[in-house]
Formats: sequence, structure tokens, C-alpha cells
Amino acid sequence: MSVIAGRRGHGVGKRSLDRRRFLLATASGVALAGIQVRDAKAATENDLAYANFGLATSYLVADFYSRSLEAAKLEASTRPALRRGRAAATLHARELTALLTGAGDTPATAEDFTFEWPVPTFATAASIRRTGTAVLRASLGAYQQAAATLTEPTYRVLFASLSASVAQQVGTFTTAGAPAEPFPLALDLEAASAALEAFLG
Amino acid sequence: MKTRLATLVVALLAGVCVAAVASARPQANAPLTIYAAASLTDVFRSFDSAQNYSFGASNALETQIRNGAPADVYASAAPLNTQRLHRAGLVEKPVTFTANRLALIVPRSNPAGIRSIYDLRSKPVKLVVAGPAVPVGGYTLTVLRKMGLSSVLSKVVSRESDVRAVTGKIALGQGDAGFVYVTDARAVSDQVTVVRVPAWAQPRVRYEIAVVSRSSNKAAAQAFITSVLSARGQTALKNAGFLAIPKAPA
Repeated sequence: MSVIAGRRGHGVGKRSLDRRRFLLATASGVALAGIQVRDAKAATENDLAYANFGLATSYLVADFYSRSLEAAKLEASTRPALRRGRAAATLHARELTALLTGAGDTPATAEDFTFEWPVPTFATAASIRRTGTAVLRASLGAYQQAAATLTEPTYRVLFASLSASVAQQVGTFTTAGAPAEPFPLALDLEAASAALEAFLG
Repeated sequence: MKTRLATLVVALLAGVCVAAVASARPQANAPLTIYAAASLTDVFRSFDSAQNYSFGASNALETQIRNGAPADVYASAAPLNTQRLHRAGLVEKPVTFTANRLALIVPRSNPAGIRSIYDLRSKPVKLVVAGPAVPVGGYTLTVLRKMGLSSVLSKVVSRESDVRAVTGKIALGQGDAGFVYVTDARAVSDQVTVVRVPAWAQPRVRYEIAVVSRSSNKAAAQAFITSVLSARGQTALKNAGFLAIPKAPA
């Protein structure tokens, strides 16, 4: 077995390093290290529209996780999943920001948004689950559509990855025993935007 | 007789001197000349009716200041205009004083049946926008690009000189839809229906204000800016539908 010597003299097995990196990336929701998003010169306006929507949605999802953690209404056992979800949403936002910057756009920042959560959203575990599922399903729907229809292949790979990450997160909010969704619905930008309009402000 | 004549001459000279000094020095109560974006028309007039205003497209006002127009204060709907003048030394350091959002408006009768911005793609529409150099015109292009809808620009029937002109055309039913600021839409809410621009597609609309370098009344000009930034000024802007001064990104 080959060994990579750590800089401080710690010997670390390559396999264990790779496994750790994989687990870390999976925990973060997306294996960004493996994604090579080409400079966006080849991207169409429609490709970038999905990126702009995805960026806003990532900020929204991160905010949702933060508020859910603050509210502390879900079982304590879900807190690690909420933190991982927030970390993944933050990484998604970072990646989409880089993508838009590369395309010559001025990407939105979290401060550009004033998210609107209906008053009872964080009052009970049930309403947190309901809202979390609605928000994540809408973003999942848009990412699926993007993965299938965008022009730029590297963008499609990125959105496929985002879809996988968000699909994992939906599980955090579905109650035990809830039926698995065999075919989550893909949503075009208009439908996904309409689904999230009430929250995006 | 000679004494009386001398007294009269002295008095006249003194009067001339006083008048000359008075015209060279700023007068505390003289109204300022404020050049401001057309979208600020109602709120600035109601906030401080004692000043002389010239409202118009920020880019046109910028040109006038470059050409030596006698403004004391310049308030623009886009940082681009104030920053350009600042770099040229024509205004002092600008400050952000409010923000705004874009909306699509359609006439109350809504002849084109527009319910969503995406309807602009599929329906025959007479679209009214501001010219690309006008801040609201530039912001319109940003919205359409962000939403992947730039193709609807082929439906533009008129490019107006400022946001008020766009609002007026739609209110009068001379177009099927037009992009304006939310605050302008409010001013004609009995004549138009507002179609929301999604938050994720909103441009960053920032208003900046600055003292004009050539102003002969800089103290009063600065005092006006301070009053706009004060709680009273910010409340007036908020009541008119403008947004609070945005936080800087973390």
C-alpha cells in the first residue's frame, strides 16, 4: 500500500485519505472536487438563468437550515443533518457564484435577499418538515430540469450533482415511513420560480 | 449739497458692495438646485418642497452636470453615473441613500393577458422599455438576461427617455407591458396591474447622492444629503416604497 507522508510527519494511508475526502464531500452534499466547470463562454443565457436561480435558492436553503437549527423544534438527532445541509447549501452557492463570475455576471449575495418565511414555519416540527420539503423539492425540480436540458455539458454535470445533493437532503424532512418518491418531478424555471416566490421575497 | 451728494455716492457704493458680497456667498435660506432621478420625483418633492428640483434620467442629468449645469446636489438611480462624475472631480464622494426593485406593469385592462414575465415570450406584446443608457433601461436588460428572456426585446415598440415616460405610456394603454421601478408602479396603481419580477432576477438597484463640486452652497447641499440620510428622510423613502440602505456584503 502506498503511503503519503503528511507534512507534519503523520503517515496517512492514501486509501483512507481518499475515503475521508469522499465522506467529507458526500457529507457536504456535493463532490465539488470532481467537477470541472468550463469557463462559461460556451454557456447560453438559459444556462446562466438556471445558475442565477440556483444561487438564490442555495441562499434560501442555507437560511432555512439556520432558522431550523435556531428553532430547535426537530428531534435533536436531526441537528447534524441540518448542519450538513447548511454546509452543502453554502458550498452550492459558492460554486454557482464562481460560475456566474466566470461568465462575466455580477452574482447576487445573500445580502441581496430578504427571505420571507410565513409566521408558523418554524413554530412546530411538522411545519419545518413541510416547508423544508417544499423548498427542497422545488429546487430539486429545477436542478433536474437543468441537468437534462442545459447546453453546456459541464453545467449539466454540475446540476446533476446538485440534484443528487438536494435529493439526499429531502430525506431529512420526510418522516419515517413516508413513501419514497419514485419519480421526483422536474420543473422548468417558471414553475420552480413560482413555487419559491413566496419565500424568496 | 456737495455733502449730500457724497453721502449718496457712498451709500450707493456700499449698497453695490453688499450686493456683490451677498451674491458671492451662499445664502442660508436660498433654495438649492437638486438634480435627481425621475423616480425620486414624488418623494423628494413631498420630503422637502423648498428646493428647486430638476428631475430626469440619471444619465441625462449626468451630461448636464458635465456641461456645467448649476446643480448643488445630484441624486442618481445608478452608482455608475455618480461614480463617473466623482472620478471626473465633478461631484464629491457619493453615498448610497436608498434602493429599489423592478416590476413589470400592464394596463388595468391587460389586453395582452400578461400574468407572468414568462408570458412575454409566448404572447404578442407591445413592450415599452427605457433606453439602455437610462438606469431603468439598463436594469431591464439585466432582469431579462438573468431570466434567460432577452429574446423578448424583439417585442419592444418604444424606448423611452426615463422611467416616468414608460409608466405614463402603460398607464395610458399605449403599450401592453413595461418595466419600471416598484415605486413608479405605486404612483399609478389605479391604472396598472403589477407583475412581480422574481427576487432571484432582480438587479441591484442602488441610489447614490453627492454634492456637486461647483456648488456655491456646499454646506446647504451637504445638509440636504444629511437630511435624506436621517431617520426622517429614510422614513419618507420607505413610505414611498423605496428600500432601506442595503447592507454591505459580508
